Amino acid sequence: MPQTTIYAAPRTREQTPPPAVATHQLARLFGRSAALAGVSMRVETGSTVALLGPNGAGKTTLLRILATSLRPTFGSAEVGQVDVASHPELVRPRVAYLSHATALYDDLTAAENLAFAAAMRGLGSPSVGARAALDEVGLTLDADRRAGAFSAGMRRRLALGRLLLGTPSLVLLDEPHAALDADGMLLVDRLMERWRAERVTVVVASHQAERVLQLADGWASLESGLLVSAGGTGVSVLDDAPAGVPAAAVRA
Amino acid sequence: MNALRADVAVAWQIARKDALAELRGRQAAGSTIFFAGLVLLLFGFALGPDSRRLTEAAPGLLWLAIVFGSLLTVARLHQLEADDGALEELARYPIERHAIFLGKALSGFAAVLVLGGLLLPLVAILYGIDLAAAWPALLATLVLGAIGISAVGTFYAGVTVRMRAREVMLPLLMLPIIAPLLLAAVKATSAALLGDPLGDLGAWLQLLTAFDIVMLAAGAVTYGYLLEE
Repeated sequence: MPQTTIYAAPRTREQTPPPAVATHQLARLFGRSAALAGVSMRVETGSTVALLGPNGAGKTTLLRILATSLRPTFGSAEVGQVDVASHPELVRPRVAYLSHATALYDDLTAAENLAFAAAMRGLGSPSVGARAALDEVGLTLDADRRAGAFSAGMRRRLALGRLLLGTPSLVLLDEPHAALDADGMLLVDRLMERWRAERVTVVVASHQAERVLQLADGWASLESGLLVSAGGTGVSVLDDAPAGVPAAAVRA
Repeated sequence: MNALRADVAVAWQIARKDALAELRGRQAAGSTIFFAGLVLLLFGFALGPDSRRLTEAAPGLLWLAIVFGSLLTVARLHQLEADDGALEELARYPIERHAIFLGKALSGFAAVLVLGGLLLPLVAILYGIDLAAAWPALLATLVLGAIGISAVGTFYAGVTVRMRAREVMLPLLMLPIIAPLLLAAVKATSAALLGDPLGDLGAWLQLLTAFDIVMLAAGAVTYGYLLEE
């Protein structure tokens, strides 16, 4: 009787899906002062994470590094497992970033501003995409007005419209509710809920903690460039090395 | 081939956007043209009514006026991007850095070409010069000169756009670099106006072409570093 040998499959650890964002000892100096002083964190794909902390905590610097606008001084940051410093060209198509500045051209109309952004993102029909985005942010009737004539709130809405062009897998929001009226704030909330439903990862820095925590899966708190705590789901502190940039590099 | 086509499309979109903004901000463009015209007029007053002297000086004065006007133009084209964080946004798009440089240089080229095109007849009127016979050579000189000025200007406007003293720094950095271009353009214009008696027009145009190629290549390769912080 032939003998049957049964090979047991090797035991594997439970596969953890790759994170949307991972930073390792991420530090950024401006001159000799550290805006980020060694942040190691992980944000899970599809989660919405609130970045909290006082002014100067390093929230904007962290977002700008993830958006490829700033290079880290020390450490590393990855978006979708791609290092932002060594391969920014692979990161840029995946990321949409709403910064403090609205980055609009005053002499162009709202539709032209978004059509230009759509063309830069390589969308097939920039004008069509622009009109659809304007519709979503409630600026259809102002599509042909110049951005220079817009109020601060309308400029913010137009900048929000730019996030709707293309299909980013990571959305970074820096104070998205700033300068907006009640309707505008609800618009931001709706967009965040939509991205969450679509499993788009969202990292939002805000001083409106109560508001964003209602929409977020988890939170991380920064203080003086350090990640001091994190909670909820979707975000975790990585314990990969002691925090802090080389002391000699930082102003005492 | 596809990558090249994409880069050209990006450069065209950037130049088109700049042209739209420039046309709508007529006040700024008009001021530049008025300033350059005023420079020509004042040089004319400074040299006096001697028509022979004016005719001899005309090529040099024309190119000085074009260069002074161009300083304002290229600075303004970059200021468009710097005013509200637009340059940082532009750098974040998934596009090649050299395509951004070429787009900005293309809009600069168009603006300098228009400026030169308007100043040429003004020089003819103010300094009593007949352009009719020389126009093909003058046009070639103007096109080649505009390419070089816009390439150098775009690069140095990128260098200075984040500086506080950018209005001072841009001419300080740009003028020494375009000295060879200025020399070649003035000599080529003189040769064209005099009917090329020494047969050296071609050599000056070749020098302008070489200058343009070197500056465009250097700008395209290095401009990306200026966008990084």
